[in-house]
Amino acid sequence: MGLESINWQLLVYSVLHDLAIAVYIGGSVVMDFILGPAQQSIPPAQAQIMGQKTSDRFLVLVWVSLGVIVVTGFLRLQEKGFIVAEWPPFAGLLNWEFSYGRTVFVMFIIWVLLVVNGALITFVLRPRLLGRLGSGTSTRQVTTSMDSKLQAAQWVQWLTRTDMALAVLAALLGASLILGGLL
Amino acid sequence: MELVLRHAQQSMRPSQVAVVCQRAGLRYRWFALASLVTVGATGVLQLLRLDEAQLAARAGSPALSLADPYGRTVLLLAVLWLVLAAIWSVMAFWLHPGMHARFSAEMSKEQAQVERQRIGVQIRRMDRSLRTELAVALFALIVGATLRLGGIV
Repeated sequence: MGLESINWQLLVYSVLHDLAIAVYIGGSVVMDFILGPAQQSIPPAQAQIMGQKTSDRFLVLVWVSLGVIVVTGFLRLQEKGFIVAEWPPFAGLLNWEFSYGRTVFVMFIIWVLLVVNGALITFVLRPRLLGRLGSGTSTRQVTTSMDSKLQAAQWVQWLTRTDMALAVLAALLGASLILGGLL
Repeated sequence: MELVLRHAQQSMRPSQVAVVCQRAGLRYRWFALASLVTVGATGVLQLLRLDEAQLAARAGSPALSLADPYGRTVLLLAVLWLVLAAIWSVMAFWLHPGMHARFSAEMSKEQAQVERQRIGVQIRRMDRSLRTELAVALFALIVGATLRLGGIV
């Protein structure tokens, strides 16, 4: 083999797929275990701004990674001849009877869970964390808002760690595909 | 780190950037070391478990020899790992310790200014090292992916 005989399409899909999962897992580790503790070393007001900026950027990376993962995953299966342009679209090992097919199916379920959790964080919990209070707010409303923000922050942390565990499981299942699958 | 922290740093004061970089760098180096050791150890284990007959049965009959692209690609990956280890060492033993500010009450304004400039230079060197590390790691990822297709070099 060598440069002339390489399937460049498959190589590009593989690199982008691996890179996307590395960005997803690596980004989660950096956010939770490196930037989170580092944020506590600066004044709270600045820490809040830093937290918002890093989370905004990280969420962009998360959605781009999830998009790249599913698109390149589909294209790799198509390039290998497991997805075809006829009914049923699944061919070869991409069948519930084979370990390969079951592993790919579970990986897809994990991807769906990551999308659901990502949507919960982006569209439900982040707006709650960013909610601002007007000048005529009562003490009771301030307390309720603070409780709601604390609860949202705890949920974000819990969901982020769950996502990290799910992504590591997906990477393990993906690596097993070269050996025929794990399930 | 490069994509997330760099973006947040733009809205922070230089003194806070130094504190955050120092704290983040302290933890980052252990995660980076653990990743490097894991990559190196699992790479060696995979190489030891590699069955030459099974390898030859793959498409293109790759071989673990310098006469074959597969063998040369494995060698290139080992070299890239050594480059990453060298960058890690430079950051851990020289650049990161150099970011510690050494201010004292007896310092004159000029001396304090020199110290601030020294830390600024260390932060810029750290940035360059991190970017080089990222570029080498990305290159290694691409090179590693070609092994499934028989190697590239």
